[in-house]
Order: sequence, then C-alpha cells, then structure tokens
Amino acid sequence: MAVSPVVTYEATSNIKVTADKAKSLAVRTNSISNQNEAPPEKKQGGQELAERLNHETKEKYVKDKKLGEGTYAIVYLGHLKADPSSKVAIKKIKVNTEYRDGLSMDAIREVKYLQELSHPNIIALHAVFSSKNQNLNLVLEFLPLGDLEMLIKDSEGIRYGTAEVKAWMGMLGRAVWFCHENFVLHRDIKPNNLLIAADGEVKLADFGLARSFSDPYRLMTYQVITRWYRPPELLYGARFYSGAVDVWSMGTVFAELILRVPFIAGNTDIHQLELICQAIGTPTEENWPGVSKLEGYVGYEKAATVPVRGKDVYLARFGTAGPVGVDLLMSMLALDPRKRSTARQILEHKWWTTDPRPTAKEDLPKKGGGLEKMGDDLKRRGGEVEDGRGDKVARKLNFGTMK
Amino acid sequence: MPQLTEDDLYRTSTQYRLWSFNRESLLSLRSTTNESAAEGVRAALHAQKAAEQEQSSKQDSNGSPPQEVDCLSVGEEQKLVVFYCVQTMRFADFCEFPTNATAVQYLKRFYLSNSPMTYHPKEMMPSALFLATKTENHYTSLKSFVSKLPKTTAEDVVAPEFLLTQGLRFTFDVRHPHRGLEGGFMELLALATGKGQSGPNNGASPTQFQKQMVGLDPANGGNKKSRSAKEVVQRIQDAHGKAKEILKTSALLTDAYFLYTPSQIWLSSLFVADEPLARFYVDSKFPTPSTMKPTLLTTLGTCANLLRSSASADPEDSEVKELKRIDKKLYKCRNPEKIDLVGINKAQKREGHEDGLDEKVIKKRKLERERSEKEAEDIFGPALGIKDGK
Repeated sequence: MAVSPVVTYEATSNIKVTADKAKSLAVRTNSISNQNEAPPEKKQGGQELAERLNHETKEKYVKDKKLGEGTYAIVYLGHLKADPSSKVAIKKIKVNTEYRDGLSMDAIREVKYLQELSHPNIIALHAVFSSKNQNLNLVLEFLPLGDLEMLIKDSEGIRYGTAEVKAWMGMLGRAVWFCHENFVLHRDIKPNNLLIAADGEVKLADFGLARSFSDPYRLMTYQVITRWYRPPELLYGARFYSGAVDVWSMGTVFAELILRVPFIAGNTDIHQLELICQAIGTPTEENWPGVSKLEGYVGYEKAATVPVRGKDVYLARFGTAGPVGVDLLMSMLALDPRKRSTARQILEHKWWTTDPRPTAKEDLPKKGGGLEKMGDDLKRRGGEVEDGRGDKVARKLNFGTMK
Repeated sequence: MPQLTEDDLYRTSTQYRLWSFNRESLLSLRSTTNESAAEGVRAALHAQKAAEQEQSSKQDSNGSPPQEVDCLSVGEEQKLVVFYCVQTMRFADFCEFPTNATAVQYLKRFYLSNSPMTYHPKEMMPSALFLATKTENHYTSLKSFVSKLPKTTAEDVVAPEFLLTQGLRFTFDVRHPHRGLEGGFMELLALATGKGQSGPNNGASPTQFQKQMVGLDPANGGNKKSRSAKEVVQRIQDAHGKAKEILKTSALLTDAYFLYTPSQIWLSSLFVADEPLARFYVDSKFPTPSTMKPTLLTTLGTCANLLRSSASADPEDSEVKELKRIDKKLYKCRNPEKIDLVGINKAQKREGHEDGLDEKVIKKRKLERERSEKEAEDIFGPALGIKDGK
C-alpha cells in the first residue's frame, strides 16, 4: 500500500462525493433557516450556522444515567433520540477552573485524534457537541465489557490460552498500525486502555497523551507512557522517538497477557530501568549504538551488565506462545528502538498464520465489566490510573521543557 | 485482498469529510452564511433602535422608518478574512510560532459558517493562533502568549475560543502540503543524482531518468537548458524554494485547502515554480498510457491557476485602501449583540452553570441561600425575649 505519494484518485468521483456532501449541508441549513423564519424569534435569527449544527448534534442524543465521575470528566450512558435501543457513552469533559488557558491539552488531544481515526479497533467517536456551559461532550462508542486488565487479573475466574492471546494481540496490533499509518503516536498503551465491545472486539481508547509524529528536529517530551509499559529510550530521556515506543508497550502487554501479571513493574523510573536490564538485558553501545548519548543514560560497570537475553530465556517464560510467538515478542522488546519491529512488520509476522488460529472474537472470554467499569475507564484523563496504583502514573506532561 | 491506499486514508480525515468542497458548494455555503448574518445584523440593529426610541420619548412614536443597513457582500467578507489571515501569518512569524499555517486554516474554516459582521476577524485572530499552538504541540502558557500581543488581555484570547472550536466543528487536524513537498524534493534530488527509483509501472532505469532530467525544457519560458546533473540539482533547489514560498502564502490564502488535497496542492506549487520539472515528476510516476494522468494534470492545472491568483501577502496601497473602506463599512453593519465577546462568554458560562450543575451543588446553594435569607430576616438580631431567655 501507499506506493505513490501522488493522490491520483479519479478526480470526478472525488468531486461528486464532495458535492453531495456540500449539498446535504446546504439543504440542512436551508431547512433550518426555513424553520426559523416561521416564528420570528430574535435569538434564533442571530444564531450562526455553526451554532445550529452544534444544537442539531446535541439534540440527536439523550443522556440517560451517570456511569462514573472523575476529576476530568463525567461519563453518562446515553442513546440516540431516534433509536431508544441504541447505546452510546457520553463523556462530558469538565471545564477545569484551575486551568485558565481555555480548552485543556488532554481534551484537545483526545478530540483531535479520535476525530481522525476510524478503525474497528479504535474506540469510535460518533460526535462532539458542546452544552450550554461550554463543556465538551464526546459521544463515544458503547463498550460495556470492561478492559483487558480486568481479564488478565481475574486468573481464577477467567481461563484463556494462546489462541485468545493471539486474537487480542491481533486487534491491538491493527489498532497501533492504523495509528502509525496516520502518523499518530498513542503514547499510553496498556491493558486498561484496551476496552472490550459487546461482541468481544478490543478497542484502543484514551488518546489524551497522543500526538502526531514530530517534524525533523522538533523535540518531544519523554514523560509519556505509564511506567511499566515505557520503553528504555524514554526512561533515558530521548527527545526524538518514533512508533517504536508504542511497539515496546505492545510487547509488554503481550508478555502480561501470557504471564497474567505485569511483566516489568518498577516502583520508580530507576527501578524500572533495573528491571528492564534484568529481564531483557543491559543497554550498551554494543547492542544499541548511540544509547550512551541519551541525556539520562547511566553507564554500567562491565561486571554488572546483563547480556541481552537469548531465546531460551524467553521460551522458558513465554513458551506457551510457541517458538514463533516468542520470536515476535522478542522483536517487540528489542532494546534498540531501531531494531524493534514496526507495527507493520508485526502484522506481517508468521505467528498469526501459525497454529493455533486466533479465537473468533465472539468466542473470547468475557467478564462483563458492566456499565460502571466503562464509566471508570472513560473518565480518566491521559495517563491517569485508578487509586492505589498511583506510582504507575505517567508523570504529568511538562510543556515547559518541550520547546 | 483490497489494499488500503493513501487515498483511502485521506478520505477518512475530517479535512476531507467536513472541509472539502467544490467551487459551487463553497460559494453557496458562504452566501448562506452571509445572508443569515446580514439578517441577524438587521434584526439586532432594528431591536436596538426600537429600544432607544422607546426610551428617548414616546412623543414621536411613529418614528422614522428603520434605515436599511448596508451589509458586507460575500466578496468583501472574503477580502477582510484574507487580510486578517495575512496579519496572523505576520504575527506568528514575529513570535516564531511555526503553527501559523494551521491558525490561518482555522480562521478560513471558521468564516465559512460565521460572518465578520457577527464576529470580527481581528478578535478571532489571537484565539485561532493560540488554539493552533495547543493543537500543534507548540503550547505556550496563555500568560506568555498574551505578553507578546499588543493591547490584548488573556480574556480576549480565551473568550472566543469556544466559538472558534464550535465553528471548527470540533475538528482540529489540518493536513498540510509541506511534508509532501519535502518528500517530492528528496525524490527529485535522488532522480537527478542517478539514485532514483521509478514508479511501479515505469520501466526507466535510474540513469535514464538522470539523462531525461538534463534534457528537460527550462523553467517558465527561460532559454537556458541545464547542461549537467549538477545544474539539474541547482534547478531542483530553486524550484523547491519557490514552491515552499507558495505553500507558505498563496496556498494558505486562497481556497486551495478547501478545493484540493495536500498532494495536489504541493504538486501544483511545483507546477507554478517549474512546470517542466513538475511534468517530468508526474510522468515518472505513471505507466504510459494512463487514463489517470490527464485527469490529474487537469486538476493540477486549475489548482496552479488558483495559486497564481492569490492575494498578495504584502498588500499594495490600492488594496489597503479597499480594505480600509470595507472595515469602515463593517463598523456600521456589525451585529451589536456580538461585539462584547468577553461578556458573552461570561454570560454563557453563568447561564450554563445554572442548568448543568450537580444536584449536590444545587442543594448546597439552596442551603446557603436559605441560611442567608434567615440571616437577612434576622438583620436586627434575634427577638429580644429569646436573647433574654438564654
């Protein structure tokens, strides 16, 4: 795909589509202004087109009950007025009184990227509207079956095997590939951001830390991704990075799905690095040329360096994935981001076509997180996690250092 | 299996879904906006006048017939918006914000569904720039942003933000042609130095390409052909510089973003800069014969003409005079109800709070009110008897 940089799509059909769309827009406006002419109400006459469109969108949905509330947002269950059996989640982002700089960055990032990314494995944003008090309301896909973290943790109640792991990882892989294909870095991939739809489909959510790929020479912040899923280059303070950061997170999620406990769970950033050295190997100039130039790199005593773990070590721990699965896992967890697989290479890997076949999504184990769980999952802001696991939280973005 | 192409991806973008038009639909949208805004202005002025008359005296209650307001035309609105887009670019340059292209598109998009008669572009400009710094990862605190603006308060910047985001229909992503141009530039350089790869169906070898390039007609009617690969490289660099300038100005100020895709825009800028080179590049991508090529070339031709017709980023005296006239005219046909954006914003927030509040807060307020009412009743203190009784 994406062979030619020239957009050579038949211009005629292009124009037709746009014309149709424009027509529908024009028709809609006409019908509204006609309605307005009837009662000569002053307020409606002064309403601009954008205001009317917003009002129309708002009127399409009904808020039913509150599912959850956090400091950042309130999540409601809702439905389409025209179809009472439909279900949506409406996330109302609170106007932050502390934040005087207008619309907050989290909200902007989330809206910006979800508006662009339509994919079966990415949570769908059906509509956005503002309510009277200038709060943003995001109408999101209804995902009632909790998240992957719930399934992983319930090792007593939920049994699953390689075929299930393959199905989940496949869905995650497609979501991440689609983000990267659209030049978007997610920067917060972890099991509790992977929500589950009624039909078992996994959906990547929470784009509060996402950003577009940087232009050359433009610095990015390294303070992203929840610690346990954060790659070594970010822990070393890299300011230029790529989709490889998300791929590392995918690798740690893959490992966690098999182990059913977080794979590399450090208490501090330093501890996280120590654990990475033990589990994967110590980053050195030999296995990762240039690593010592990273700002936060700490040199290691020759004697203290752990050689990069071989396949045997992985087979011993992750043998259930099979030797081909272990190859894939290792390619996601390469220390040097340049040697790590890309999202595309992951999708092209042999593992997907090796036995066992991935479980059909309808047959995947379900826990039924219920409405509250969805409320909890959605009310978070980027990088935020539940109480009691606060040490895992990605530090707040520090925009001052991003210049 | 059908493969996802770059075109498929582009068609999922909001820029394509919500912000792409043809010339007719664009004009019709702007006319609708203009008419509805003019209607609003007339109604508001009328109401204002009626109120004034009622207040002043009831003697001449027949009053003078309401004067017909001379509203801006679509063309005048356009000129004004473009002028403020130029101002935005200048200001962003001055502050070294690399986000001016996005800010300008925000303004252009906003004024598709809003009229300068309702919201003056001068007041929307700082807000558009500030929002762009946030959406394009160039966030600066509002405080330091405001310090760079003359005579502007933090409130002035934030108050219109909500209107702006609503006008943008809550889509913040703008796809620009700049990166595409850089890619094409690198490809051309590779072709010129014999390292190029042909398109999937074009059989020419790298050296054949290199030779073809030396033989190209000179740019824009010049008569000096390049004689060596080295001169070709120089030619490509010149074209790149020119095209880049076009993308920074004409592409932003015209309706190019509404009418064409980013790839069409950068290719067209190359056409304006060096047509033979642009044609060679397109040829290198297509097998011969191709049905798609003529269609593409026609599109690029019309887009190139649009870019050539752009208003200047450096308006001449006569244009400035015209702009002054429009601005004067606007002074008389502004919607009086929408001038105080800071006030409107505050009022909306208040109004909304009343109906959007949690029950808890409402209850708390009710208790507070009741208590203060009681206190008010007891303004002279409790009854004497009670006090004595204590």
